[in-house]
Amino acid sequence: MATLLKPVDVVTIGVGLTGSLAALELGQAGLKVVGLERGSGRETVPDFQSPPIHDELRFAIRKAFMQDNAKVAVTFRNASDQTALPIRRWESFLPGQGPGGSFVHWNGQSFRAQVADFIWRTHTIQRYGQKFLDSCGPELTIQDWGVTYDDMEPYYARFENLCGVSGKAGNIKGQIQPGGNPLEAPRSGEYPNPPQKEPHFGAIFRKGAESLGYHPYPQPSSNLSRAYTNPLGIKMETCIFCGFCERFACPHYAKASPQTIILPVLLQDPNYELPALCEVLRINLDSTRKKATGVTYVDDTGQEFEQPTELVLITAFPLNNVRTLLLSGIGEPYDPKTGNGVVGRNYSYQTTGGPTIFMDESINVNPFMASGACGTMIDDFSGDNFDHSNLGFIGGQYVGAIMTNGRPIEFHPTPTGTPTWGLEWKQAVARHYNHTILVQQHGTSASSRLNYLDLDPMYKDAWGQPLLRMTFDFPENDIRMSQYIADKVVEIGRAMGGKQIIRGGTKRPYSVTFYQSTHNAGGAIMGDDPKTSAVNQYLQCWNVPNVFSLGASAFPQNITYNYSITIGALTLWALDAIKNKYLKSPGPLVHS
Amino acid sequence: MPGGRSPRFGPLGFIIGFVQAQTQQPSQIARGAVIAAQGTPTGAPPCSQCHAFNGVSDASGAFPRIAGQSAYYLAKQLRDFASGVRTSALMTPIAKALALSSDNIADVAAYYASLDAPFLPLNPPDPALVKRGEQLAKIGSDKQRVQACDNCHGPEGAGEPPAIPYLAGQYAHYIDFTLDTWRTGFRKSSPESMEVVAKKLDDQDLAAVAAYYQQVRGSGDVGAPQ
Amino acid sequence: MSDISRRTVLTATAAAGATILPAALPSGSIDDLVSICSGEARAAATPAATPSSATTPDQAPRTTYLFFNDQEAALIEAAVARLIPKDEQWGGALEAGVPNYMDKQLGGAWGAGERLYRSGPWHQGEWTQGYQLPFTPAELFHAALAAINRDLATAGTPFAKMSADDQDAYLKKLEAGGQDLGGVPSDVFFDHLWELTLEDFFSDPVYGGNRDMVSWRMIGFPGAYASYYELVDQHGIKIDRPPTSLGEDLYRHIHIDPNIPAYAPPNNK
Repeated sequence: MATLLKPVDVVTIGVGLTGSLAALELGQAGLKVVGLERGSGRETVPDFQSPPIHDELRFAIRKAFMQDNAKVAVTFRNASDQTALPIRRWESFLPGQGPGGSFVHWNGQSFRAQVADFIWRTHTIQRYGQKFLDSCGPELTIQDWGVTYDDMEPYYARFENLCGVSGKAGNIKGQIQPGGNPLEAPRSGEYPNPPQKEPHFGAIFRKGAESLGYHPYPQPSSNLSRAYTNPLGIKMETCIFCGFCERFACPHYAKASPQTIILPVLLQDPNYELPALCEVLRINLDSTRKKATGVTYVDDTGQEFEQPTELVLITAFPLNNVRTLLLSGIGEPYDPKTGNGVVGRNYSYQTTGGPTIFMDESINVNPFMASGACGTMIDDFSGDNFDHSNLGFIGGQYVGAIMTNGRPIEFHPTPTGTPTWGLEWKQAVARHYNHTILVQQHGTSASSRLNYLDLDPMYKDAWGQPLLRMTFDFPENDIRMSQYIADKVVEIGRAMGGKQIIRGGTKRPYSVTFYQSTHNAGGAIMGDDPKTSAVNQYLQCWNVPNVFSLGASAFPQNITYNYSITIGALTLWALDAIKNKYLKSPGPLVHS
Repeated sequence: MPGGRSPRFGPLGFIIGFVQAQTQQPSQIARGAVIAAQGTPTGAPPCSQCHAFNGVSDASGAFPRIAGQSAYYLAKQLRDFASGVRTSALMTPIAKALALSSDNIADVAAYYASLDAPFLPLNPPDPALVKRGEQLAKIGSDKQRVQACDNCHGPEGAGEPPAIPYLAGQYAHYIDFTLDTWRTGFRKSSPESMEVVAKKLDDQDLAAVAAYYQQVRGSGDVGAPQ
Repeated sequence: MSDISRRTVLTATAAAGATILPAALPSGSIDDLVSICSGEARAAATPAATPSSATTPDQAPRTTYLFFNDQEAALIEAAVARLIPKDEQWGGALEAGVPNYMDKQLGGAWGAGERLYRSGPWHQGEWTQGYQLPFTPAELFHAALAAINRDLATAGTPFAKMSADDQDAYLKKLEAGGQDLGGVPSDVFFDHLWELTLEDFFSDPVYGGNRDMVSWRMIGFPGAYASYYELVDQHGIKIDRPPTSLGEDLYRHIHIDPNIPAYAPPNNK
């Protein structure tokens, strides 16, 4: 029998990036907010201090900051004609847990999207024609977002200032700036902090890329290049390039995460409550099924609670947003056979995988001296920055030397032909460890009617609820895209002085057995048509106007770049709409 | 033992030299020893006048212990004094005189980096201060949003050569004074790290951290009977 | 085979495990503690992690096994010695204490299925769907090792007694798959064996492997204390300071703690 709690104004399901932002903004608007978080509380001091935090086995291999597969997992299959099986240990993607969510263990890679990304369907058809798009794959279901880059720009600036992003603007209001990315979308102003120092691998890449006429630029980073006080008055410190960024938390207050940019202020708000160790089972709807009445959750003693509320914000890891909608019966679930339904539709991922460049042994690369986002890169192959006319694919990848660590369990490269174990392997590892550069290819993931999320019919979590089922493989389009770019990147590798190069490029089938990216996207996508989107341009559920689904689940397909900054901007955009429009007049913000 | 690996603390509790980013040559050490003993023809007085020939300086804490300190770090301090990044009425002219010949700084740094030296007997510190200092050193302070010193300064303040100096066994007075020069912005090296951290600490914190590190001799005893 | 004194010691030291700072054990490893408690002379007078010359490989450490029985331990020791052999310059997996690490991992929470989704039903699935057996790591190793030892007993020569070439050939056969080892496909077993060996060889020595930080010294990885703001833009600088473990103190003693849970601080949930 669930204990009924006193009603509040807002419940956020999850207290990661989007949940913290929501609580901050709506709390400042005077609302009483409860943030329900599955994990337990943690702070920079004492929980993120080194040396204990610099434990590769615990955090990078055993994945200590991630959701516990023993309690809840995801099932996976490549195609509908297979049986989905549980991902029994995370490898390919790593959903975080605990206050701060995945924004604690991220790398800090802080890009904006391109102008064309928000109108990818319209843009592609305008430039190349409908026939071209069809020829790239009749199964592709790319869509426009329902917002434009111009809508997003002020929110990008706000979020970057909140994080203290360290970078060099390349395009301010249309004026190209030296030292920045000439191919970026126009910004209203400079970054709040200058770029991080460039490590050796970045400098080598820069020279090689420049020699081929490309336009290298410093990667924008939320690992700060200097001490900074953000607009909330929270002080952050300088990143010291420890090489334990992704999968770890920062000891130095130098990486943007809710703990370092939001929570110190948010947790002072007497109207904010953050009960930890709460597993949300579902959102409850009234008899009309058009209004949420509250949220049911279980605490760590197994007791069930019902939290009544006026407004529910689903602010979990993107896959969990979709699962919450499905478990709550909000929106019509997607049916791949008919193409009808919207919840679970357009699930996308990230197309990654670049070359390994073995350099001369006189060159000390020192990859262990790195931050999560101190790379040097080029946008010449990102998005639609190059002419796709005769190439037979859409989309692109950024390319760069973006090494983030030299942690040896994960990084011990050997050239092709080296045995996979034994004495020769060992000697090759010793020979090449400090003289090898990884160049990353990281790019778009076109959505497809074949790739979707739904509830698994067989496997359950520790609370007895169905796991989310993921059906996904890389569209052939994305494979062609990454293989084309892989050839170009090999040329850059040679220009860098690489002695041996293991070519990059993504292959089918997609496998969950090795790490690629934690940028799962889609499944509760935004748009202007309730037949092809689950939420409107303000991320409000079409069917249930007092439920909003915030996060990357809203992306109709995935962009070239790491998407955290875009998520931040999109969330602030939605929160502004909630504060300025919804609260004044609750109800649908868009009439379709 | 220049160039070789060795335990940080030998059986008698001495600090033995660390391995440096650039291995010190015996010839450098020998020349450095002469400068430490006699000064240079360019007008630098002997280092040993203040720092003692064995790098232990003296119990006043006015001059830092430099025995076994990272050669890279020592050399950088001398260059910083010579260039004005650090300013000291005593060290500035000395560093400038040393810098007149390009090898002097490397030599004298190599010499002091190579040294074993005992710890002087000092008055026992206030245990409450030491406790607070240990907290800051190993865990930091959530309230003040300052991370643990050992994050950068190594296990129990052993240092992280080549760039980051040891604090273990350094004189409390010197640590306190130095942190204060960062707090006021007077010392201009490490503005991105040490100045930021120091500004988060109050006078009690400075005294605590200083008291703690002065008395650190490690949490285990080599060769002690079970 | 049970040994009461060993079990008692493990419990006492395990209790010190799950804290933020490494447990302040007396210098040395669990091996040394066990030998003290069972009245043996403290054979290695210096702590297990005392650094030694970089130019000769260390002796393989004496390991007290709590998970592997004698036959399993013999096979594991011989196998890891082939997977990552020693050479003139650097010790290999055996010298690094990999069997010790494996023993403690498999005998601990991770071996028992920490972080593993363990519900059925179990279907083989595609390779892209990953591990789909019902075994925990501990069960997998016991099943597979028992099957291998049975096979080799029938064939005549235990693995540890084979020539190095024969051992390599046998490992390659396992790696190629096709055999059923008590319910574990041989390639799945090999993958687990190799993965654990790799982890043990390269992980922080606080876990009982990578003894003397041999692998880190071999490749030039400076270890757990890592603050490089001043050095990152000195392109090409050679860093050759001794590596540092997260479990070491001012004397470079490494306080071993194999029971660090694979959960986030503070209360490991």
